[in-house]
Amino acid sequence: MLNHPTPTDGYETYTSRLQKETEELIKKHRPPHDTAQIELQKKLHFEFLLRNLRQGFPERYTSQDASQPWLIYWTLHGFSILGVGLDDQTKKRTIDTLLAMQHPEGGFAGGPGQTAHLLPTYAAVCSFAVVGRPGDGGGWDAIDRKKMYDFFMSLKRRDGSFLVSHHGEVDVRGIYCLLAVATLLNLLTPELLAGVPEFLATCQTYEGGFCNASFPGWAFEADDPETESGSPKTYDLSAPRPPLGEAHGGYTFCAAASWVLLQPYIKLYYSSAGGSLPPVPSINTRALLRWCVQMQGLPIELGGFKGRTNKLVDGCYSWWVGGCVVLAETLLGVTATHEAVPHEHHEESDEDGQKSWDDADDSLFNRKALQEYILCAGQHPAGGLRDKPPKPADAYHTLYCTAGLSAAQHRVIPSEAREKAVISAWHSSQAHAKAESRHPGTAYAPSSDADREMLDELRKGIFAHAMSWSEEDGTAVYVGGAANRVNATHPLFNLTVTHSDGMLSYFYGQTPPSRYANKPATK
Amino acid sequence: MSELLADDPEWADVVPIRQYENVNPIAPIFYSEEYKDATDYFRGVLKTGEMSPRVLQLTERIIRMNPAHYTAWQHRYKTVISLKIPLEEELELMNEIATTFLKTYQVWHHRRLLLTALTSIDAAARELEFLKTVLRADAKNYHTWSFRQWILAHFNDEERLWAGERAYIEDLLEQDVRNNSAWHHRFFVVFSSGIRLGDEDRDQMLRRELSFVKEKIALAPNNPSAWNYLRGALEHTNTPFSTLTTFVELYTTSQPPSRGRDEDVVDLDNPPPSAGAQLPAVAALEFLADIYEKEGGDASAKAVEIWKSLANEKDVIRKKYWEYRIRDALSKA
Repeated sequence: MLNHPTPTDGYETYTSRLQKETEELIKKHRPPHDTAQIELQKKLHFEFLLRNLRQGFPERYTSQDASQPWLIYWTLHGFSILGVGLDDQTKKRTIDTLLAMQHPEGGFAGGPGQTAHLLPTYAAVCSFAVVGRPGDGGGWDAIDRKKMYDFFMSLKRRDGSFLVSHHGEVDVRGIYCLLAVATLLNLLTPELLAGVPEFLATCQTYEGGFCNASFPGWAFEADDPETESGSPKTYDLSAPRPPLGEAHGGYTFCAAASWVLLQPYIKLYYSSAGGSLPPVPSINTRALLRWCVQMQGLPIELGGFKGRTNKLVDGCYSWWVGGCVVLAETLLGVTATHEAVPHEHHEESDEDGQKSWDDADDSLFNRKALQEYILCAGQHPAGGLRDKPPKPADAYHTLYCTAGLSAAQHRVIPSEAREKAVISAWHSSQAHAKAESRHPGTAYAPSSDADREMLDELRKGIFAHAMSWSEEDGTAVYVGGAANRVNATHPLFNLTVTHSDGMLSYFYGQTPPSRYANKPATK
Repeated sequence: MSELLADDPEWADVVPIRQYENVNPIAPIFYSEEYKDATDYFRGVLKTGEMSPRVLQLTERIIRMNPAHYTAWQHRYKTVISLKIPLEEELELMNEIATTFLKTYQVWHHRRLLLTALTSIDAAARELEFLKTVLRADAKNYHTWSFRQWILAHFNDEERLWAGERAYIEDLLEQDVRNNSAWHHRFFVVFSSGIRLGDEDRDQMLRRELSFVKEKIALAPNNPSAWNYLRGALEHTNTPFSTLTTFVELYTTSQPPSRGRDEDVVDLDNPPPSAGAQLPAVAALEFLADIYEKEGGDASAKAVEIWKSLANEKDVIRKKYWEYRIRDALSKA
């Protein structure tokens, strides 16, 4: 590909100077002509992760003292992506460490003795998905789901958003973390979800990506549920709820993944046909897709992703934005279509000798270029991965670069066949029992049989949808060859499908059919 | 402050609590002695619920070592309220911490809680000034911008707060026309947050905005921030893209239009690209293709032509996306 610098139109500014310096740095890491030589240094990254896990983190990680479950999750899921299993002793120590961070009033905190917070709650629950299991000492049954639900409800505000912690801020990262956890642990109810889609929709900016929160004040008078008088008021839903902050990769991923997770709820509890149900809320999905693909850097930036317009590429956006493209595709329905593509164009379009649009089932971003960025610029020579050269590696970038590499190698999309198979094996009574009896998950009680049926449908829909994501056969792409293969990761949870399947099946009380049962035997 | 609380008689009555009691933690952090000491005592204080001047000092000590310690912030806020510390004083004290740790969420959230409690337009106006100094050091700081927007919306005072924003944005774009945060802020002020004083005539407001953004595009035609603003303004006001065809076509040709004898006759609605412009601008091509796609019929073929040239030549990194646009348009035709 061509290596033109970003055009500056003869008009330099701070942004263009910084961009130019970065291009100079990154282009030194241009991949060799023979891309077969590009190697993922699995052993070095494994050693980097192992050092962090066994020996611990150096003092500069004190800034992560309130994010300890994240340090654990980044490390553990990093192992999973690299295809490394853990021994029982390590698992046990991890479970004990995580349980020390469970708050007595529900949820998990950034460290022992700290207050509960939605972000570490996600990191802790995902870590349990990797190391835990049901039964004594397995960790899963030690998660207090009843109190966690109460904690979630205590953070809920009337505009549909959630605080990240008591006295904390509102932020779509928190909403994503809550939805991912509530999905995995079978805690979703219409009570918890009321207003969430509407809130998320207000966080989309004119650029198409999402920001961190919107301003509710003009429609919702009281700002803080902790100081509310409790008297019901009427709200002006037509008042503007402007987005605060510009479109940003991290928030865009969180909002898009939340939006996908909410689809079964939206399908059941909203209606476009009028009647008693509220109208279906919407986001601009085409604008979302456009924004995501616009964040991919030029060839001179090796096709890494940026997190905002006119900012610099950074390895972590390989996941947050690169990994978001498949979510936008899913919402647009483009992953579902495999029909033949018009061929009327061939007279002129093949002049460069490339088959132009035969692979309609491929991703809408440049998967090869992203892999080149991660492999050539993202790897630190001493192990671990990074934002960009010459920065040091760290735990956060190591996970989100490898997860981004995984998203660029594998195409994991919702499979209708899989969803049907899961639904046909659905046991409603078990899901209900799991949700409410042995480990009471929620205090929510449907007020009528009809409500109960809806809730049952909701659980089934959420479970089946979460379980339906599968890698399409024959669509993997490995820059540098199959030796660079890493494991696929679930686009909604950022867990391997094995780990998310295991946790979902347990907490919904289901025994879904094997993912491999219906595959034709290959010889 | 390097002295340990463990050696301080003033703290002798507090029982410090170690982080991990009966657990050999995985992936531990190697804290400094000072940090370990301070957080051990903080856990002790949390257990008894103490809110006192020395607790204020302790939370500040922790925050200076780790500004992301949200529990320390939370307890500090409760203590400030409980001790009835003058909120302006607390805000003042936090100025230096905010400037030092400007990339930390909690720094800004604390200020937001203080301002909410203060309920003072004067304080809000002072805060906008303070934020200008912060943005001078880091003009794209996400939290600072998000916080500035919250102040404007929350206190919502046209004359004292909103009125100065457009001029401020224009200063910033004068310094760096590629500052996307400033562009977003303009959209927030002009379009997303109700109607500004003086902007009641919406047609006039839109004309002003279009003329503003077109001038900025002319200055540096390959600036995605300006193009996104243009698209946003049109979509927000349901104005067809095709109303800008003449303007956009100046940017889709390979050469800037020759500046001959007619130089004095400037078409204000259609400012031409600067002399240094690198044309055609990819964003302009995309825009023109959108116009053709919308027009449909025979124009669709022209859209497809543009997308092909983007896919195969001018924006190859997004080849798959442009090919999708072709498939999508053809499937609807």
